[in-house]
Amino acid sequence: MKSIQTTTFDVMVIGGGIAGLQTALDIACQDYSVAVVEKGASIGGKMIRLSKVFPTLDCASCITTPKMAAAAHNDNITLFTCCDVKSIKRERTLSTQNISNSISPQNNNTQRNRFVLKAVVTQRARYVDADKCIGCRKCEYECPVLVSDVEQGGFSARKAISIPFSNAIPQIAVLDADNCMLCGKCEKICPTHAINYFQESYDFVIQANSIVLATGYEMTSLSDKPQYGMGKIPNVIDALQMERLLAPHGPYNRVLRPSDGKEPDSIAYIQCAGSRDRSMGVPYCSRFCCMYAIKQAMLLSGSLPLAEIRIYYMDIRAFGKGYEQFYQNAKAMGIEFVKAKVARVDAGEDGSVTLQYEDQNGYGMVTMNHDLVVASMGVISAWSPKGICNVSQGLDNFIHTINSKLSPTLTDMEGVFVAGAAAGPKDIVDTITEAGSAAIEVSKYLRYLYGKERGLKPVSTISSLKAVA
Amino acid sequence: MKDKKEDQKHKENQEYREDKKVGVYICYCGGNISDHVDVERVREYVENLPEVAVARTNMFMCSDPGQQLIMDDLKNGTVERVVVASCAPSLHETTFRSAISRAGINPYIYEHANIREQVSWVHHGDQATEKAIKLISMASAKAEQLSPLEPIRVNAKKHATVIGGGVAGLRAAKDMADCGIEVALIEKSQFLGGNLAPLDKIAPTGESAKELLSTLALQVLCHPSITIYAGSVVDSFEGYVGNFTLGVKQVEPLPSKAADSDITAEADISDIQKTNETDKYKKGDYIPFSGVFAVDDADFSNRSDSQNLSVSSNWKSHVIETGVIVIATGFKSYTPNIGEYGYKKIKEVITLPELIKSMADSLNSGRLSSQDSFTMQKGSACSGKVRGLEKFLEIDGRKIRSMAMIHCVGSRQTPGIHQENDSGQLNEYCSRTCCTATLNAANIIRERYPSTRIYDFFRDIRTYGRGQEEIYEKASHNQVIFFRFEADEPPEIIESRESQSGKNFESNSQLNNFPICVKAKDVLTFGEEIEAPVDLVVLATGIEPNDVSDLVQKMKLPVGADRFLLEVHPKLRPVELPVSGIFLAGTCQAPMDIGESCNAAGAAAVKAAAMLAKGYVELDPFVAQINLELCNGCGACVESCLSDGALRIVDIKADGELIKRAEVTPPLCLGCGACVGVCSENAIDIAGWTLRQYEAMVDRIVAENILAVIN
Amino acid sequence: MVEENIQQHKKTDELSKNLDKKADAMKALRKSCKNRIDRVAEIVREQKRALKAIRAQLANSPSTIPEIAASTDMPTDIVLWYVAAMKKYGQIAEKEKDDGYYRYSLQGESHVID
Repeated sequence: MKSIQTTTFDVMVIGGGIAGLQTALDIACQDYSVAVVEKGASIGGKMIRLSKVFPTLDCASCITTPKMAAAAHNDNITLFTCCDVKSIKRERTLSTQNISNSISPQNNNTQRNRFVLKAVVTQRARYVDADKCIGCRKCEYECPVLVSDVEQGGFSARKAISIPFSNAIPQIAVLDADNCMLCGKCEKICPTHAINYFQESYDFVIQANSIVLATGYEMTSLSDKPQYGMGKIPNVIDALQMERLLAPHGPYNRVLRPSDGKEPDSIAYIQCAGSRDRSMGVPYCSRFCCMYAIKQAMLLSGSLPLAEIRIYYMDIRAFGKGYEQFYQNAKAMGIEFVKAKVARVDAGEDGSVTLQYEDQNGYGMVTMNHDLVVASMGVISAWSPKGICNVSQGLDNFIHTINSKLSPTLTDMEGVFVAGAAAGPKDIVDTITEAGSAAIEVSKYLRYLYGKERGLKPVSTISSLKAVA
Repeated sequence: MKDKKEDQKHKENQEYREDKKVGVYICYCGGNISDHVDVERVREYVENLPEVAVARTNMFMCSDPGQQLIMDDLKNGTVERVVVASCAPSLHETTFRSAISRAGINPYIYEHANIREQVSWVHHGDQATEKAIKLISMASAKAEQLSPLEPIRVNAKKHATVIGGGVAGLRAAKDMADCGIEVALIEKSQFLGGNLAPLDKIAPTGESAKELLSTLALQVLCHPSITIYAGSVVDSFEGYVGNFTLGVKQVEPLPSKAADSDITAEADISDIQKTNETDKYKKGDYIPFSGVFAVDDADFSNRSDSQNLSVSSNWKSHVIETGVIVIATGFKSYTPNIGEYGYKKIKEVITLPELIKSMADSLNSGRLSSQDSFTMQKGSACSGKVRGLEKFLEIDGRKIRSMAMIHCVGSRQTPGIHQENDSGQLNEYCSRTCCTATLNAANIIRERYPSTRIYDFFRDIRTYGRGQEEIYEKASHNQVIFFRFEADEPPEIIESRESQSGKNFESNSQLNNFPICVKAKDVLTFGEEIEAPVDLVVLATGIEPNDVSDLVQKMKLPVGADRFLLEVHPKLRPVELPVSGIFLAGTCQAPMDIGESCNAAGAAAVKAAAMLAKGYVELDPFVAQINLELCNGCGACVESCLSDGALRIVDIKADGELIKRAEVTPPLCLGCGACVGVCSENAIDIAGWTLRQYEAMVDRIVAENILAVIN
Repeated sequence: MVEENIQQHKKTDELSKNLDKKADAMKALRKSCKNRIDRVAEIVREQKRALKAIRAQLANSPSTIPEIAASTDMPTDIVLWYVAAMKKYGQIAEKEKDDGYYRYSLQGESHVID
């Protein structure tokens, strides 16, 4: 069909979560052009799905949405959503006219040897014309198909065509082809004729001089944990699901037991449910579970003042600025911390959950019933460079960094950097700082590439870029 | 004169009386506000205010759709002035101003009402709704009076100053210099490297501190854009973002850090020796436990140019004109109180930094050739005996058969349990790095000297980072024996002649030979009382910020309850201080490991580079303005001014006569309004906060109808 | 003027041709996705039945999740899922709490799901 289109940027950031957005914003401030490539239908990553964040208890949206908006409105940043990166290769530049202005004549050798990074990106079909959609949600209201909403931990439904969530960026509907019966209602009601059932995925090329991997994390699945019921026991949920129950736009707008809508009187957290556990393939510490469990416990005791809240833990790792004090506050609020590794989880009577653990006071195995149990699952890498580019992974499958002390964001592929949880579990504070660190590495690398003279912007000027995009 | 005033007033009246259409935008903040404030009722009320053209609500006004509401209303002329009622302005005032700019409107026609921190988080029910209505009504009354302003643009020197030559300072200096910024690096000692220098093998990678430091410090020393002021401190500070002036003064050379950490009498002698030794060092030399020597020979002026090394050490004061400042003043290791776990009372009790140094010393002294002992033990199990040979750690010539390591010394201190320091403070925070450092040392000892037993007393093991849990696992594998204690029942250090009872881990005959017994209640074995006889106790001391009270005072920097410097916001502006143009890097902010410090330094560098990129900085225009027609040049305002140089009396020519009038230097003005209060002629106003605007707010708040409507 | 008319006529002609073409293409698309369409259609039928039953119960009286489940003969977790969805699209409102369970009632049909 069409020949593959190439778009040129100074930098490509893979991942539009908090790490990617902060990196992109910090690079854009140096007046370099940045492409942010996000696999989901909206930027914002995991953070925008959270309720409140420790240790300040700011609402996650209050911190994330302005950064999302700032990225969306920055002239130096172009967002690509619903996109997958298929391959990244370092290639010799074929055309040199772009950079001829910038590199002085005596540097002709450098010019000939210049490499760029070329990424083949697949734009998945949204079945909605992004230029026409105005985000009015009429299609969503009209659509007759209810689909379990992953954004809400599966506790509520969305439609087969919908805006991903209320503060999503971009505000463009996306059609879930697997659950569409082509009834045509959305097409009929759309005021701008944006629905296109015939849209197809296509590949395009992003050419950049530097790439930042900000591909984030996923959580291990409850269904991998036989001792904890393989995800089949009602009212055993993971921490991200609890985030949704606590979030302002949550499925129930309050905390209820998902099995029957009862307000829970007793809630338990199982720490290290998927971490520090070789059987799960996650021998390492997932780093932020202690803090989010404490935070959720605090929020729960605020919204359910009568509920009993317990945290079963191995070690409480409250190591960041203000975190230990946060932990001590939680204790003072009456949240119970029980040092024990939970051995088994079973379904109890009337939707309750039965835990078995070894008591530390010498009473042997103890059985406890709770209305709702939250398992703090392990944090694993969300993206593998295998088959895409020559970046190595560590034994933990996160991106391998080659100078973890002095330049923690360097990978073993030239021009490719990493930020945030892509290089190992990391809380938001550490992620934002690391994003800044990656941004300065990129700036330094580009300066080195573009020559030492000041003020050179060789690869692409913003105006030419906008024309392509 | 009187007529003039009246005229003036009349003119102003006319200017302001044009009815401005105000738009009020009220945020639910996803329940943060709407759970306590009846947002729809607030909206209905303010909609009826005379100046309000529209009042709208949104779940998150700061989200894109929320901002779009405001922009659309501005663009199509529905509103001319904007009030957003949401969280604290420190979070999102700039967000909304930039939205207004994007709509092509002057961003200063904006007023913010804080109905979250000041209302919904502290009041409930009708009271909350009432107060929200009041605050918004006031803001709306003020907004009607707002006029467009232009930001103050000041030129910014493309020069940065880094205070502190530890790993964070070095990284920040190099990053900024690599981005084309001239950098001055001020370090109070004569060495670069800070707290990295006294380290040995660094967890979890086992890299050598020496190599890391040498690499980085030499890059900095040789960088053509970096000037190093070693052995110097900041003496004076003035100016504002883009145009700071720092006085830098050389100080007496500090003793090298190797001696610094020893507090014994013998060490004092070595202090002097070391200080004298500095004469022998050449710049760039790596001095174990001190760092990289950064001072040239006395006749440096002859040498430095030829070697392209730019170090100033001529015992004089310097003046640095700089655009931004990065503070990287780092930490010091906690020094236990005398008698804390027997420290300084029992000679076998030392700190972890002291252990690391002693181990390196004993390796270097040749008593045990490090190469030999290491290769011999490598691969062998930690049985304690290798082909009949016993390998024991030796400290100060003493064979260490078994040792105890105690965590959280000087960290995670609890009121009522731990002793406050001299200034009455407790270190309630976790020092983040000590668990891994302690276990790393334990592993090194168990692997080099398998006959030395290690008992580890901990509260929680916090090996959180990448590759750190493996160190913990390895310690278990290396047969380090762990005991967990609670904060209120810490281990007791007993000189062992006194202790006889309880379970112990050596036979009684041996017990008598050990100088110390560590007694603890082990939570891991259901509170069992245990006694561990040891030759050595190592205290895993925490991190305390270096004392920078001098800088704090000079630069007006905020300090947290934990005594570390306090950033503006941990997620929104994590490396920035409220004083524009001053940034934070590394452990002056919070405990961090080396990688984290470097990340923080990089983050600070990228913000600094962005600030200096344009050659100018824009500041908010909320500064004093003098009405020259009303001013009588009395000078009362100058006396009241809190910011040196912001106000002065100058001679100006009017109608051929020289008259005295007040003049403002806008970038220095804090906008505090102290001058407004003392001016007898009402000749001063703060732009964006004029007396007229205050009057409008006061009129609104005393208007009776507010409460009438609610009740 | 005449020319313009002709132009206009041509345009509408093309448009209708295009529409015909599109209708054909749509038919072809539906044919090629028949399995999926049948599967989803079955799910939607079931959803409509469930929603109708829940609405019928709520029209009777505001009810808790277990009460709705009992009257509609559906599992409680499924009922809660529907109720959450109906709440999201403004069909039902939460009422007072009764022994640990909230009651739900029908409200104005702002964004109908059926």
